[in-house]
Amino acid sequence: MMANKNISIRNKLMRIIMLISGIVVLMTCLVFFLNDFYSFRESTLQNISTYGQIISNNSTAALAFESKEDAQEILSALKAEQHIVAASIYDAYGKLFCVYPTNYNINQLPTTPGVVGYHFTNTAVEGFQPIVQGSKRLGTLYLKSDLNALYDRFKLYVIIMGLILCFSFVLTFVLSKFLQRGVSAPILALAETAKAISEEKDYSVKAVKLSNDEVGSLTDAFNQMLTEIHEQTEKLNEFNQTLEQRVKDRTNELEAANKELESFSYSVSHDLRAPARAIHSYANVFLEDYGNKMDDEAKRLINVILKNGKKMGSLIDDLLAFSQLGRKELIKTTLSMNEIASNVWNELYKIESNRNITFDLEDLPDAHAEKTTIQQVWVNLISNALKYTRHNPKTYIKIYAQEKNGEIIYCVKDNGSGFDMKYYNKLFGVFQRLHSQEEFEGTGVGLAIVERIIGKHGGKIWAESAVDKGATFYFSLPIN
Amino acid sequence: MSLLKKIAYSRLSILLVFCNVFFTTAQISTREYQVKAAFLFNFSQFVEWPAQSFSNPESRAVIGILGKDPFDSNLEEIIVGETINKHPLVIQHFKNVDEITNCQILFINISDKNQLRLLIEKLKGKNILTISDVNGFAKMGGMVRLYIKDDKINIQINLDAIKEENLGISSKLLKLAEIVKTDKK
Repeated sequence: MMANKNISIRNKLMRIIMLISGIVVLMTCLVFFLNDFYSFRESTLQNISTYGQIISNNSTAALAFESKEDAQEILSALKAEQHIVAASIYDAYGKLFCVYPTNYNINQLPTTPGVVGYHFTNTAVEGFQPIVQGSKRLGTLYLKSDLNALYDRFKLYVIIMGLILCFSFVLTFVLSKFLQRGVSAPILALAETAKAISEEKDYSVKAVKLSNDEVGSLTDAFNQMLTEIHEQTEKLNEFNQTLEQRVKDRTNELEAANKELESFSYSVSHDLRAPARAIHSYANVFLEDYGNKMDDEAKRLINVILKNGKKMGSLIDDLLAFSQLGRKELIKTTLSMNEIASNVWNELYKIESNRNITFDLEDLPDAHAEKTTIQQVWVNLISNALKYTRHNPKTYIKIYAQEKNGEIIYCVKDNGSGFDMKYYNKLFGVFQRLHSQEEFEGTGVGLAIVERIIGKHGGKIWAESAVDKGATFYFSLPIN
Repeated sequence: MSLLKKIAYSRLSILLVFCNVFFTTAQISTREYQVKAAFLFNFSQFVEWPAQSFSNPESRAVIGILGKDPFDSNLEEIIVGETINKHPLVIQHFKNVDEITNCQILFINISDKNQLRLLIEKLKGKNILTISDVNGFAKMGGMVRLYIKDDKINIQINLDAIKEENLGISSKLLKLAEIVKTDKK
């Protein structure tokens, strides 16, 4: 019964009540029945024994003085008890003396008296009783009663039991249908409310309290929880909104600041370019026009000015390029990275074609990116590889790629001087350099530009290296 | 007297002539006294005697026979080991009514009616149940008469005589018997 978990609590309650009451009624009926059955058996024995006593008492004289008529008359009194189907009297010698009813088949009677006492057989109660006058045994009485009385009683009991069961079942059904509401209705109401709330997500709804029992306190607790959930949801929503607003404000502020900074650096570098060029060009003109009039020390100084002016120019150019990156929108197309990488390599290699270089370009997958900026990335990375292998007698540069987790990772590996990983955090900073100007020239803007470009494409850049063990630079671009 | 003799003679002649009838009668006669002996004892079970009937608690209960004993050993066999109210039952033969002192049941086998009347008178006050098969015994003031009718031994009881002697008699016994009264003369 409990196995069916899909039954409503209402039906479960009713079933439990009906099952229990059914069992109780059945058991009660059974107890009554058994008790009555046994007491009726006892009383049947008692009855037949009483009849026997009376008959045997009355028939003493008839037996003593051999009056069959009288004995017959005494036995015929048994007509009053319809269940006694046969009776007979035996004399002191065990000879059949008298039979009741007179037309009874003698062959069905015991031929001689048996053991005194009454007992049940399958179909009857029968037995013998001594006929005694004073202390003298005069003969024996045999009585046989059918069990119809018992069977009638049995039938009556079955009918009554059936009626009681039916009646109690109906009564229990009706009563439990009404009474179980007191228990199930608040639970069902609570369940309905909970269901409605979970479906509609409306936590402002309240469950109606129908009773002051445990279900009532459950309802209270439920409502309390609902109130808290409602309040917290509201608070959360409010907080969310303010947070969104704050993020928006901050973003706007940041964007404004960024723009300001970019335009500042752009204008600074742009404005610085003209005077730097002027210094460089005028120093150049000064050297050409007045070079023959200068002594060696003057020439050396002028050359220092020229060299620094040139450096200042390239610094300003790089800075300008870097600051311009943030201002431009990317125009992405499908790029053949094989083509770009090999073109860049050819251009850069021309300048240093006298070096002993092994260049290994593996097949690179196409990328969806902006051409000019990605080209810049390749230029910076390959020129870095060439630059930092300059002191090697044999140079080895390898370019390859691999696909991983929905992005393509492009790699540039060299066997150059490398760098110490403990300065890795400075690697992609603007104007940050890990080598001296004397060892390897540069402005310290190149990798910063590369990082900026890859970042704008939604990719990442990183590197692995050790001092004098070469370096490998990786950059990833998302597929599509 | 002559009439009686005549009857006796005629009876004898009939007995002689019809031998087989005689034989049958003799058989009946034997069976008759067997039953009567049983009846004699059975009366002891349905009749109650007053306490003074017994001279002391240990004394015997007596079935007396006055006159010729017709029972042979039948009565002896029946009463052996039996009692009346715990008094052991014995048989005593009396020749004379004066001999009778302690007796509960007396079978009187005397057919002379005058003698019988005298006898009944003498037995009064002795609480003795008197039994006989003599014709008219009960009506003469005797208590129980046994007689044959329809091949069956019937009982005639003079209830007044029994009550006079303070004897109790079972209604069950009375139910079987024909109740008669003493003829007034």
